[in-house]
Amino acid sequence: MMQRHLILEDGRVFQGLGFGAPATTFGEIIFHTAMTGYQEIITDPIYDGQMIVFAMPVVGASGIHAEAYESVKPTIRGMVVHDLAEVSVNRQRRMNLDRFLKQHNIPGLYQVDTRQLIRHLRETGPQKATIVDFADEHAVDQLVATVLTNKQVQNTATPKPYANPGRGRHIVVIDFGLKHGILRMLGDYDANVSVLPYTTSVEEVLTLDPDGIILSTGPGDPRTLPESVLTLIRVLQTKAPLLGIGLGHELFALANGAELKPLPSEHHGMNHPIQEIISRQIFYAMQGQGYAVDDQTIDRKKLFVTYRDLVDGAVQGLRHREFPAFSVQFFPDAAPGPLEATAVFADFFETVEDYVEHYNQQ
Amino acid sequence: MSNTITNNKIKKLLFIGSGANNFGQEAEHDAAIYQVMPELRGHGIDVFVIDENPYALSLESLAAKTFWQPLTVHNIKKIIRDEAIDTVVPLFGGDVSLRLWADVVQSWSHGDGNVPNTLGLNIDMLLKVNNLPALTDFMAKNGLPVINNYVLKAQDEANELLRTLHLPLMVRALHPNQNNTRHIVERLDEFEDTINLAKSQSVTQEVIISRAINGLKEISLEILRDVRGNKMQIGASEDMDPIGIHTADSLSVSPILTVQDQLISQMRDYAFRIADILQLQGVMHVQFAIDDDDREIYIIKVSPYIDQMATRMALATGYPTMLVAINLAMGIPLEDIKLPHNFGTNTAMMEPMMDHVVVKLPVFPFGELAEAGIDVNRQLNSVQKSVGSTLGFGRTFIEALEKAIRSAHFNNASFSPTNMAHINDDELIQQLIHPQDNRVLLLIEAIKRGYEIDELAELTAIDEFYFHQLQHLHKLESEIESDIDSITSLRRGKKYGLSDGLIARFWHTDFNIIRTLAKENDIRVTYKAVEPSAGEFPENARQYYATYESENESIQIDQRAVLVIGSGAFRMGDAASAGYATAITMSELRRLQYPTIIMNNNPSDATLLPHLADKQYLEPLEISDVMKVVELESPQAIVIPGNRRKLINALRDLNQRVIVLPKEKHMPDGPNDRQSEFALNFFFDGQNRYLINVTQHLAGEMRIIAHPTTLSDEILAMPLDNPGVYQVIWYQDTVRWQKQIHLSTIGNGGSWLRPMPYGQIAYLTKIMQVPWIRLTIRAGLNELTTQDYELLENVDSMRASERLSMISADVNYQLHLQPTDVIDGTKFEVGVGVYDYGKE
Repeated sequence: MMQRHLILEDGRVFQGLGFGAPATTFGEIIFHTAMTGYQEIITDPIYDGQMIVFAMPVVGASGIHAEAYESVKPTIRGMVVHDLAEVSVNRQRRMNLDRFLKQHNIPGLYQVDTRQLIRHLRETGPQKATIVDFADEHAVDQLVATVLTNKQVQNTATPKPYANPGRGRHIVVIDFGLKHGILRMLGDYDANVSVLPYTTSVEEVLTLDPDGIILSTGPGDPRTLPESVLTLIRVLQTKAPLLGIGLGHELFALANGAELKPLPSEHHGMNHPIQEIISRQIFYAMQGQGYAVDDQTIDRKKLFVTYRDLVDGAVQGLRHREFPAFSVQFFPDAAPGPLEATAVFADFFETVEDYVEHYNQQ
Repeated sequence: MSNTITNNKIKKLLFIGSGANNFGQEAEHDAAIYQVMPELRGHGIDVFVIDENPYALSLESLAAKTFWQPLTVHNIKKIIRDEAIDTVVPLFGGDVSLRLWADVVQSWSHGDGNVPNTLGLNIDMLLKVNNLPALTDFMAKNGLPVINNYVLKAQDEANELLRTLHLPLMVRALHPNQNNTRHIVERLDEFEDTINLAKSQSVTQEVIISRAINGLKEISLEILRDVRGNKMQIGASEDMDPIGIHTADSLSVSPILTVQDQLISQMRDYAFRIADILQLQGVMHVQFAIDDDDREIYIIKVSPYIDQMATRMALATGYPTMLVAINLAMGIPLEDIKLPHNFGTNTAMMEPMMDHVVVKLPVFPFGELAEAGIDVNRQLNSVQKSVGSTLGFGRTFIEALEKAIRSAHFNNASFSPTNMAHINDDELIQQLIHPQDNRVLLLIEAIKRGYEIDELAELTAIDEFYFHQLQHLHKLESEIESDIDSITSLRRGKKYGLSDGLIARFWHTDFNIIRTLAKENDIRVTYKAVEPSAGEFPENARQYYATYESENESIQIDQRAVLVIGSGAFRMGDAASAGYATAITMSELRRLQYPTIIMNNNPSDATLLPHLADKQYLEPLEISDVMKVVELESPQAIVIPGNRRKLINALRDLNQRVIVLPKEKHMPDGPNDRQSEFALNFFFDGQNRYLINVTQHLAGEMRIIAHPTTLSDEILAMPLDNPGVYQVIWYQDTVRWQKQIHLSTIGNGGSWLRPMPYGQIAYLTKIMQVPWIRLTIRAGLNELTTQDYELLENVDSMRASERLSMISADVNYQLHLQPTDVIDGTKFEVGVGVYDYGKE
């Protein structure tokens, strides 16, 4: 394995050995503390354009599996780990991490003092980084000069509508960079799913006569999206039960007048206690966020807070006072992550059933 | 909920200890109880504890009223009555305590008054947990995947069953007329014959059929649940060895490395559901058998109480499990738990994450027994054979493995890398299929001989990941061996946890040369913190382990600090007494207000409790490991057990101040069944000798002879180096307990001087109420007080508060080891209790 380098925008250089593709890439670097689910994490579109440092000391030992993809094509820019596990490719395990990254032209770096790197990043916050063969001045200049894209949603969301048919309720998913976990959950409820691009119009959605609407997860800063998205949400939330997840939650908040603030330290992991405020129940879920809804800006006449992260106090869920619309910041699809969070989908489908029943009575 | 108790109702709370140490039962329960007592005092609760184990630290706690008594229903009831106990916590004493408390509750009669409240589990659930078939049924009824047993009489019933069950199946005789009627059916055409065979082995012609799980992967999860039903996962590990080998005898790895998130999440969900149906308020260990390929999961064991997994996970993650567990038991919700200031504010509620690997390696007694000429059955199976375990911490599996091996086998040639060269291929295959204690070496040997990883994985049912790792280790070792004095090799070797000693052996030199070479080339050890946020938050960590990385996080704590070198894993003979001696030493240093540092690797005793040291190094205890810590910390003194002579000399050569806890190099033999051992016991403060008493020791039992005597001139003249408790030993052919002893008999047949074994010190400490180890430490530090001298001058051999003899625990050597010869219960002690002979 070849010696390669990770250079951070602040000038720090970390040495390691290359795996995956020998490519030179640029991206925003963040760290992840989850101890399971590396395959789901690196294929999740929310990490489009980012490099991920794993706190998990050994990565790759459970291979790569067909049922654990969160997107068809991973778009992360790099993966930094301490120890890379070799596993052979055979009948049971047709793919391993090294080969997978090579196929997708993504570089990896291992034998890095990832604990040192994470302790550094927790102080500086996310920053630009590059994985290169030579850590010379040229590479640093190149990094500083690089402007990272803020078009992650465009990169990952579907440009065209498609269906994921089922025999149950009709759910429209607005795609901002949808992960498979959401479709898998909808499949568990045998939902008849139509996935629409985020550029879709109100009319297009309403023509489909959905029983429920989901605003999907997605990458990046929601404030870079066109105002039309917020207008769409403002109308849709009055028409059918609506659930926003991740980026969808942030958009739901923005559409209802709240603002976002950056978290003091980005949080990517699944070990923070999240509390459902009404029941005081604590549970755990996969979280990946750089922003949170700013408490101060929530219009209490429209929205109320339903879940909160007990570690940093960040808002984790909102509900509309008037409409059957609600949202969660965390990922309730358990891909990866604890199953207890999937209760959010049960809530959603209950709301959908109520709505359909009510509608039929009218 | 009937077991919901708000803490203001608890006034007087009793802990039931777990009794004598035994296979599978080290000092974890005592350590847990000892740790949480001050927490309860802080809540204004009067704490009581009963245990029969002379090594129990909790019996010497200042935070409780203690009862050193045999653990019987009668004694427990008496304490409850006499002390007006209103609350009992059986879960901290493990399954022994749980069973005992169930017996007490079931034998409770009308005249006994109100049954005290049980914390943690309500009585119904407690009884259910105690009854395995009932628990299994209960879980099955709640839709949980347990392994169902089907009892059948007729072949057509069996054929019917075959439609719903997958092969392989386990077929056993119900009410068997012989031992070992377990049969595994792997092919359809074997089914009918096997059923007939098992029927013929059954008195009632009935068979039990269940899914065979041998060869599946074994996973453990540690979870907790609070009074509001909140649940979290606080640890997880996978066994390298498949089901079929007792989990205590398996090499275990944390975090789980080879299992996908989806399966782990599913197991977590099952564990949470079990905690809910049991209405648990506390911690729970759930063991699963899983088949990764077919994605099948079975629940194989549920332990809703403190066990070795609980203490191991607490150490591996840095999560304060015991403190949280006692709060949960008291009915305090997770979000209201207040931890001591050295923990982060949200630590109790955050699931601990790991950025290091921890390998648990079992320690077997085979080597010591073989030296004494006793052969035992070394084949590992579902009956536990290990007596202790060590932890290795590292940043990779190999590093953690190497450190665990080093911790378990310091000074043990049986782990030499060339050890397996003599074994022939047939034997190798046999041992791969029927593993023994040296399994890791065997696996490496198989790789050396070029067996394919696929084949080996198939043969052993071990995940191929581990073979890739061992192959990597083998390559690394060969490279180092053929590349003498190469700095690149040295750097790589150190990175993967190879010790100075091992590299020295490859290069046919001394570990000091390697140390110097590493230093000269700037290959430096770094210490990383063990803390539950995996780097996410700034931590106030006290636990560290060594690795070879860029950033070091450990800085010298205090130049006045005293470093204590632990004794590592439990071994036969030393049993729990070595851990007891170390823990008391630390407690004494804290009382004397020395900043204290501990180095140890045993997860199952009190030495690594957070409040006993200002800093911990979770490390092997070879000379080079100790030297590195000494260099960083420059402690003012180092406390070392006396059997570590090389280490003591090496440190003295470096002009370190060494305080020796006197101890023989090997555990002494006990008396045979025709004779008595007598000991004249005395304390040496560095200058003078103070008579303690005379004790008599019959096979497996020890008592004090309550008879005044004096020290002879001869004894006064014997040369001694270090302060401590010593004894002059002689034998006499008598099997009767002596009321008095003629010192003239000392010389007959010879007598000799030795340090008193730690076990006897523990016994004398408790029975005489004189803190012998504390006095030893004070003497070593020149901190003996006038009161201490007054006490020493007036030690009265009559000063035994109770008439209790120390007796060997009822250890079933036959079940666990199948020895060829009688095992000396003194030299190979596993545990001891006390027996009340006051009314004889």
